[in-house]
Amino acid sequence: MHGTHGAGPFGRGLAWITALYLVLPILIVLPVALTDQRFLSLPQDGISFQHFRTVLTSPEWLGSIWQSFTIALASTVLSVVAGTLCAIGCWRISRRATDLVRLLMLLPLIIPSIIYAIGLYRYFGPLDLLDRFLGVVIAHGVTGIPYVVITVSTALAAFDPRLEQAARGMGASLSQTLRWVILPRIMPGIVSGAIFAFIHSWDELVMVLFIASRDVFTLPRRIWDGINENLDPAMAAVAVLLIVFTLLLLLVDMALRRRAQ
Amino acid sequence: MNASGRASLGWWLLLLPAVALVLFFYVAPIVQVLTISFTEPEPGLGNYERLLTSEGVQRVIFTTLRICLLTTFFALLLGYAIAYAITLASPRARSWWILAVLVPLWISVLVRAFAWVTLLRRQGLVNNTLMQAGVISEPLPLVWNEFGILVGMVHYMVPFAVLPMLASMREIEPRLLAAARGLGASRGQVFRQVFLPLSMPGVIAAGVLVFIFSLGFYITPAILGGGRTLMVAEWIALQILDLIRWGLGTMMATMLVVAIMVTLLVFSRVVDLRRMFGSGGG
Amino acid sequence: MKGHALSLRRLTKRYGDFTAVDDVSLEVEQGQFLTLLGPSGSGKTTILMAVAGFVEPTDGHVLLDGRDITPLPPEKRDFGMVFQGYALFPHMSVADNVAFPLRVRGQSRADREAKVRAALDLVQLSAFAERLPKQLSGGQQQRVALARALVFDPNLLLLDEPLSALDKKLRAELQEELKALHRRIGRTFVNVTHDQEEALSLSDRIAILNHGKLVQFGGPGELYERPRTRFVADFLGKSNFLQGIARGPDAAGMLLETPGQGIHVRFAGPVHMPRDGGRALLSLRPEKITVLNPGETAENVVEGTVRAFAYLGAGFSLVVETAHLGEIRAVLPAWQSPVAPAEGLPVRLGWAADAAVPVEEDAA
Repeated sequence: MHGTHGAGPFGRGLAWITALYLVLPILIVLPVALTDQRFLSLPQDGISFQHFRTVLTSPEWLGSIWQSFTIALASTVLSVVAGTLCAIGCWRISRRATDLVRLLMLLPLIIPSIIYAIGLYRYFGPLDLLDRFLGVVIAHGVTGIPYVVITVSTALAAFDPRLEQAARGMGASLSQTLRWVILPRIMPGIVSGAIFAFIHSWDELVMVLFIASRDVFTLPRRIWDGINENLDPAMAAVAVLLIVFTLLLLLVDMALRRRAQ
Repeated sequence: MNASGRASLGWWLLLLPAVALVLFFYVAPIVQVLTISFTEPEPGLGNYERLLTSEGVQRVIFTTLRICLLTTFFALLLGYAIAYAITLASPRARSWWILAVLVPLWISVLVRAFAWVTLLRRQGLVNNTLMQAGVISEPLPLVWNEFGILVGMVHYMVPFAVLPMLASMREIEPRLLAAARGLGASRGQVFRQVFLPLSMPGVIAAGVLVFIFSLGFYITPAILGGGRTLMVAEWIALQILDLIRWGLGTMMATMLVVAIMVTLLVFSRVVDLRRMFGSGGG
Repeated sequence: MKGHALSLRRLTKRYGDFTAVDDVSLEVEQGQFLTLLGPSGSGKTTILMAVAGFVEPTDGHVLLDGRDITPLPPEKRDFGMVFQGYALFPHMSVADNVAFPLRVRGQSRADREAKVRAALDLVQLSAFAERLPKQLSGGQQQRVALARALVFDPNLLLLDEPLSALDKKLRAELQEELKALHRRIGRTFVNVTHDQEEALSLSDRIAILNHGKLVQFGGPGELYERPRTRFVADFLGKSNFLQGIARGPDAAGMLLETPGQGIHVRFAGPVHMPRDGGRALLSLRPEKITVLNPGETAENVVEGTVRAFAYLGAGFSLVVETAHLGEIRAVLPAWQSPVAPAEGLPVRLGWAADAAVPVEEDAA
């Protein structure tokens, strides 16, 4: 039916303003990163890639990028394995019985990371996990589980449980059923969850502020120091690189979802 | 009987890694640290007494509540406009609107805070442009105060507000809106008397989500507040990292968890939590 | 007279290359019950939506009592409408749903209450005023939708497949109620349906639509007895079709020449007249055919054998294989059947000369 309803001028105007408010400030970092000046500003006489060069030749920035990348990879593996198995278990066992488990898995989304961060600050000391690669991987991996549980559960919700029963009925063991019947069907959900868990770790700052100091110095940590100490255009260059990287990951996710449909 | 018992044990075992990880490396550290509020500097409720006696503690709580309520209000208002536009848009326009919501959602909160600093500081792009245009002669104080925090927090929260509201608006049958018009309602009346009431569950869910996310927010207020306007998360970090007052810091952390849990509990009657986080996290 | 007259003048609606409604004109008099009947995709709903104001016609006009209302938005037309699936507001009680059209017209609370009560009385739902729609049965919801559509004294009542969501028994009951309601309040009703029985039993006028075109427009008896095209004969009830060459058609009748025999046709009213010597098609309703007793005769007689039969309770349905006319379907009351039918049984079928009607082949 056409012409039955539609936003009035006020609603439409507000929606447009909001969309601009959401997107424009993020885009502003691009011209700032390309400035030919030595301070945060728009390009004056022309664009320059000097700040990208600064970042991409600096051992500190490159070291932090590499550290963030390896931490994100390792913690994603942890989140994906634990989260996927958990989502499958919750799906197969009745809903009622696993309500508590589902609630437990949502906790890291509900409780502010500052609280978890101070908890880890105290907890990791005796375990000798402060300022360690493993410590950060555990922290990011555990808090990444909810993203995987949510995306995999969504994929499973569209999956006919009778397929699983049919496989078991034909004599497949639990692990065979998992590998040959369930996992291939929910792969798009797992990949989505992995991408979100990866971005979660890649961007995470609050925990890192408390449980890492010198040996582990991730990219967000370096940006944080940069914002607090010297606001120079190199920061904008880093921001642009981060935006591009995140957009690429989201594009991969979108492409995978489209193919799954 | 035996076989099915074994099979269901197998399914339970699948839960084990995640449950063990969350219990030992998530729940345990948090519980342990929160109990400090009852034991340091000395056992008892001394830290909680400060809630009633310390003006500094009260000021932080009120500042946080004020900023969170304002953030929730503006995020709901702007988010509603976007969700409404998405619901009524043609399929092609719809995917662009959704992109405008999802892209900010996944871009690093640090990058966004940095962008706002670039725009809003004294020599920032907004002030420079306005001064060059002759609109103002002195730079406006746009950041490192409560205004800056609000701008950044609302920017962060709008996408979280949009998703639950969008889900509930999509369940509204277009036929109902057509029926209302056919029965003589103007566009405004259709919106106020049919669309708005039917979208209320989504608005409430979005409000709860934004409010509890705002309560414990750290990075954006820390960067855009410039240390001058303290919200609880930054105040907790300050107590523990700089002042080494574990008792006081963990007391506030406990209050924060309690506030979030109470909010969720109160609204769990009206709002399906699982759905709220299902759409908010994905 | 409370009803209003509705006319459609050359109404056309195109979506890109697709023509949903193709040059439809018709007139409904005050207080009549019009049904737009057709298969899905025939354009019947689009016409209703154009009358309601939800669809803007590409061409043509909608007139109410001779006044052009085509440019008016839906809320300015004062038409009551019962939507498919009812479209009751789920967040409002039955009374609030019924009061909605009055509220948006700014009527006072006292006026509203009296009118809502009267409307709910009309559909016998006064006891359910405070319930929510989801607490009602399908039939009750349908009646709430009716009350809501009638409460503000609309110019016209539009019904979009009002009974399609109900089961068969309830549908028959509500058909009778709807008809009684129409008699009682004397308003003009426009109904859309794909159910030919509903159309026949409810309507004063039926417009049969196919591929966006108006195929035939008239009273139910006229359409059933004298279908103009094969589509109408087939869609409105069942029909046998006999093909042959027309011989000597005039005002009184004609002969249809088929390979085996001639079939006598007497015209009972104005019909589509085939060309002399041209190909012609006859529509013959199954219930107008009888099985003849030995020795009995009729104006047209065909011999054949029973290929299949079904017992329908009130009668039999037979499929008879004939030598030259193909399979002929006959429905006869059980008490009239001279024989107990059995497969392979030889029978003689007979029908009166005015039973068959010549029809046009539909344009492809």
